[in-house]
Amino acid sequence: MFKHLFKLIWNKRKQNFLFLSEILVSFMVIFAVFSLLVFYYLNYIKPNGIEYEKVWSIQYSNPLKTSNVDSLETFYENVRRTIKALPQVQELSFSVSNYPYSNSHSTTGFTYKGKELSPIDNYMIEDDYHKVLGMRLLSGRWFNKEDKIGKKRNVVINSTLKQAMFGDAEAVGAVVGADNEKETWKVIGVVADVKASGDFLPAGKGFYKRLDSGAFGWIGTILIKVSPDADAAFESRLHKLLARTIQNSNLEIQHLEDMRDSTNEDTIIPMIICITVAGFLIINVALGLFGVLWYNISQRRGEIGLRRALGATGSSVSFQLVSESLMLATLSIIVGSFFALQFPLLNVFNVPTAVYIIALLLSIAFIYLLVIFCSLYPGKQAAAIHPAIALHEE
Amino acid sequence: MIRLQNIEKVYRTDTVETLAINGISLDIAKGEFLSIMGPSGCGKSTLLNIMGLLDEPSKGSIKIADQDITRFSDQQLAKFRNQKLGFIFQSYHLINDLQVLDNVELPLLYRAGSAKERRELATEALAKVGLSNRIKHFPTQLSGGQRQRVAIARAIVGRPQIILADEPTGNLDSAMGNEIMDILINLNKNDGTTIVMVTHDENMAHKTHRLVRLFDGSQVQ
Repeated sequence: MFKHLFKLIWNKRKQNFLFLSEILVSFMVIFAVFSLLVFYYLNYIKPNGIEYEKVWSIQYSNPLKTSNVDSLETFYENVRRTIKALPQVQELSFSVSNYPYSNSHSTTGFTYKGKELSPIDNYMIEDDYHKVLGMRLLSGRWFNKEDKIGKKRNVVINSTLKQAMFGDAEAVGAVVGADNEKETWKVIGVVADVKASGDFLPAGKGFYKRLDSGAFGWIGTILIKVSPDADAAFESRLHKLLARTIQNSNLEIQHLEDMRDSTNEDTIIPMIICITVAGFLIINVALGLFGVLWYNISQRRGEIGLRRALGATGSSVSFQLVSESLMLATLSIIVGSFFALQFPLLNVFNVPTAVYIIALLLSIAFIYLLVIFCSLYPGKQAAAIHPAIALHEE
Repeated sequence: MIRLQNIEKVYRTDTVETLAINGISLDIAKGEFLSIMGPSGCGKSTLLNIMGLLDEPSKGSIKIADQDITRFSDQQLAKFRNQKLGFIFQSYHLINDLQVLDNVELPLLYRAGSAKERRELATEALAKVGLSNRIKHFPTQLSGGQRQRVAIARAIVGRPQIILADEPTGNLDSAMGNEIMDILINLNKNDGTTIVMVTHDENMAHKTHRLVRLFDGSQVQ
């Protein structure tokens, strides 16, 4: 029967062209949507890498006219002590502007044994940065006071960069090059990935450098971890205190939790729009399939009557029509899969292969379900055709 | 072989009730070649459809090959049609998108058997109707007479005991019609197949063993 049906639909391929095209286009759209959803989902289920609750960022503009490093350091040490003196502040770290959920990026490249990797997120932070954000150290160590006086420039890398650069080999102790090998950095630790661009996007490759005292002239962020009892009243008090301490500065306090929500919305809203548009498309496709199958049945009443006369039961007629639709869908899926497989093969958009493979399988399952759904009722109607009437009409 | 007892067929709509068959009783012996004649609308095709289990009588009972099929389920009826009956239609009812051989194989698809067996039986049936050289053709590439021969091959491929032919020569010229009639007579004579044929053609009807005439749904001869 399978061969018979295949022969039938193959010989009618011109009449079936519309159906085949409709399924092919739907398959490609569904594949694109599923690729996006799977990509987001696989990122979403990975840990954040930080504890963002009760972490606040304080943005300030440097009001000091001096460029003297010692003066600046003294001034900001005073700011640090003032903030840390507050009982609600548990940890504090100065940082450049590209901290998690800030939508700010600073990237560079690294080379190791002739292998060049870029872009890599470049985070400039202080010794307590990992405590503020609750980052997890996987191997080696975090920065400490010794790094300030040491001659070697040290760097802590994230897990993704470690994997990309060293694979399963040990990274701690390795020396990597930067700026066309003009600089060298020694890897002292590996930390867990931090999804800095939101829950739905990958952490990407990243490394952490220790801020030196010269940076106080241009950095403008303080990250603090506050205690659970730090409320709006405390935030107001903190703002006033900072306004007095860093006079003539533009101050803004933001909660990382809110920033995370906002960053996630930047992904979720386009995703919802995309799903909605795809949903409408699917409804149209479903109605189109329904119409095409209905039309096919009305055109094939004589054939259906004949098959009934020759020994087909009502259910086998219904099964035949559903099978034909599934076989047509299979032809479209084969063509569609050929195009879809080019994405992982050509590493389009630098997305992991697993995303495309899962999306491909989901798209195939979805199209088959859609076709079954759309052909069941026309199939049932075909089964109900009275053979004597159908044969007489012909 | 076929026993119809007091068959009635009434078509009902909301406003009209039409009596298509009015109390027909008929016994058709095994190996008999029977023709049914009558003016248009007298119920010939309806009677043939009832014998072919394509339509249900409103009243009466049907026995075919010693089986009372009155209470058969859809599945049982389909199996019975497939194994015991062969159909030939005036307008051939071939599937134009399938080659001749595939058209002839159709009844065998609804019973157990390998593709090779199906192919062999279909080739044999086509040889019987003299169309061995047309197996790869599509129906649209054949003449009317050739198409009807394909339909006959399809009717006999499953080796049924009964063939029901609804005006098999109706769309053909007399020469072609005679050719088809000769094939049917040979099938009846050589294979012992029981044939019931509806026709408008007196000449064709007189070639059969027995003629039944209908008028307004009743048997008049």
